[in-house]
Amino acid sequence: MKENPRLRAVREVRGELASLGVDPFGIQIDEILSPTEGLIQGRKTILAGTNNYLGLTFDPDCIAAARQALESAGTGTTGSRMANGSYAAHRELELDLARFYGKRDAIVFSTGYQANLGMISALAGPGDTVMIDADSHASIYDGCNLSGANTIRFRHNDPDDLAKRMRRLGDEAANALIVVEGVYSMLGDRAPLREFVEVKKQFGATLLVDEAHSMGVLGAKGQGLCEELGLLDDIDYVVGTFSKSLGNTGGFCVGDADEMEVLRYASRPYVFTASLPPATIAATRMALRKLEAASDLRQRIRENAARLHAGLAALGFRLGAPANAVVAVLAGEKVEALRFWHHLLKQGVYVNVMVPPATPGNESLLRCSVSAAHTPEQIDAICAAFASWPARESVMATAPTALER
Amino acid sequence: MTHEEVVAEVIRLVKPHAEGRVANITADTGLTGELALDSLKVMDLITDVEDHYEISVPLNTLADIKTVGQLATLIQTHVGKKA
Repeated sequence: MKENPRLRAVREVRGELASLGVDPFGIQIDEILSPTEGLIQGRKTILAGTNNYLGLTFDPDCIAAARQALESAGTGTTGSRMANGSYAAHRELELDLARFYGKRDAIVFSTGYQANLGMISALAGPGDTVMIDADSHASIYDGCNLSGANTIRFRHNDPDDLAKRMRRLGDEAANALIVVEGVYSMLGDRAPLREFVEVKKQFGATLLVDEAHSMGVLGAKGQGLCEELGLLDDIDYVVGTFSKSLGNTGGFCVGDADEMEVLRYASRPYVFTASLPPATIAATRMALRKLEAASDLRQRIRENAARLHAGLAALGFRLGAPANAVVAVLAGEKVEALRFWHHLLKQGVYVNVMVPPATPGNESLLRCSVSAAHTPEQIDAICAAFASWPARESVMATAPTALER
Repeated sequence: MTHEEVVAEVIRLVKPHAEGRVANITADTGLTGELALDSLKVMDLITDVEDHYEISVPLNTLADIKTVGQLATLIQTHVGKKA
C-alpha cells in the first residue's frame, strides 16, 4: 500500500506526539462518571475541557425525555428531512428555538459545524463576499470554502479594520455577509458586537453571529452575547449548537429574514445529511427549557469562571481574556505546552491543549472550559494542578508575546 | 509599478512571518515550501498585503499561489482592477 503524500504532515505530527509520549488529540474517557468527572487511563479525572457549560448531560429530565422518545420513535431517522421526511419533533424544536430567540423561524442542522457550513454556503455563492473575523472557527472557514464566495478576513475583534475592508468593496459592501462569533472558543474573548452592528448598518450588509460558546452562558435568558448587549433585533442570523450548553449534539440558525423559509432547500449540509434522531431532539427540547430557566446555573458558571480565572491569575499565569466560561492559559511553545498538558492529566485534570496554527498568535494554549456543575473544590483542584507544574515559571515570561503585541 | 517592485515589497512583508528561515528570499521562493508559512501565517501575510496596496485579495483566490513571484502577480492584477 503506497503512502498518501497528503497525509505525510499529519503522520509526522502524530509521530512527534508519540515520541513525547502524549496524545492529547486521541484521548479516551473510559468511563464518564458525571458532567465533570471521568475515568481516564485508570484515574478519576476532573473534566475541564468538555464545553459542558450548564452540566446538563446527566440531567434526569433530559434523560427521561430522550428515553421516552427512543422507545416511542426508535433509534434513528435513517435519512435526511428533505428526502426522507421530518418527524413532528424536528419542526417543534425549530419552533421552540424561534420562540426562545423571539425570531421568525429556525432551521435545525445535524451538528453545530454543519449549521455554519449550511448557513454560509446557502447565503453566499460565487461572486458574493463574506467578511470573516481572523480567529473564526474552522466551520466558518469551511462554510466560506463550500460557498465559493470571495472570502475576506479582517483583524480579530477589530470593527475599524472590518469597516476599512468593507469600504474597499465599494458597491459590493451592501451585499456582503459579515460573520463573527459571540465568544471565541480559543481565548474565550468576546466580540465587540455593538461596534460590529454599527459597521453592518453603515454599509447595509448582513450580519451572522455564532453564539456557540455564549448561548446558555450570557444574557438573562441565556440567549448569548446578542441578548446581553440588547442587540438581538439587529442581528440577521444567530447560529448556535446543541453540543455545548444544551448537552447534546446538533446545530441551528434563527432569523427574521424572509429567506428563512427557503434557506434550508439551498443548504447542501441540510439537504444531504441524516436528520437528528428522536432521542436527541427530545433531550435538546427539554434542555432548552432548562437553559431558559437556568439563571441559577448561569450564576454558578460566572462564579466558577471567576474563581478559576482569579486562581490561575494569582499563580502568575497569562490568560487569554477576562473571566468567562472559557479560560485559556497561554502556554508558550508547542512541546512545552504538550508536556504541561500531560502533567495536568497525570494530576487528574483534563483540559484542552491547542497548538499553532490552530491558535491565534504563535503560542500554544491550555484551554479550560468551566461548567456550572463544577464544585468550588474542583475549581481549586484545577488551580492546584496548574500550580504543581515544575516548569511553570517559563510560561509566565513578562516579555510581550505574539498574542499581546 | 513593475513586477520587480511588487516582488521586493512582498519580500519585505513576508519577512516578519518567515522568522528568518530563508536568508535570501527571491520571486521563486515558496511561501509554504521554503518559507514554511502555515495556513494562518499565509492569511496574515495577505492581510498585510491588502493594507499595503489598499486592495481586496479574497482567500479563495490563493489556491494556486505557491511562490513570492506568483503572489506579486496576483497583487498586480488586483491593483490593476482598482486603477
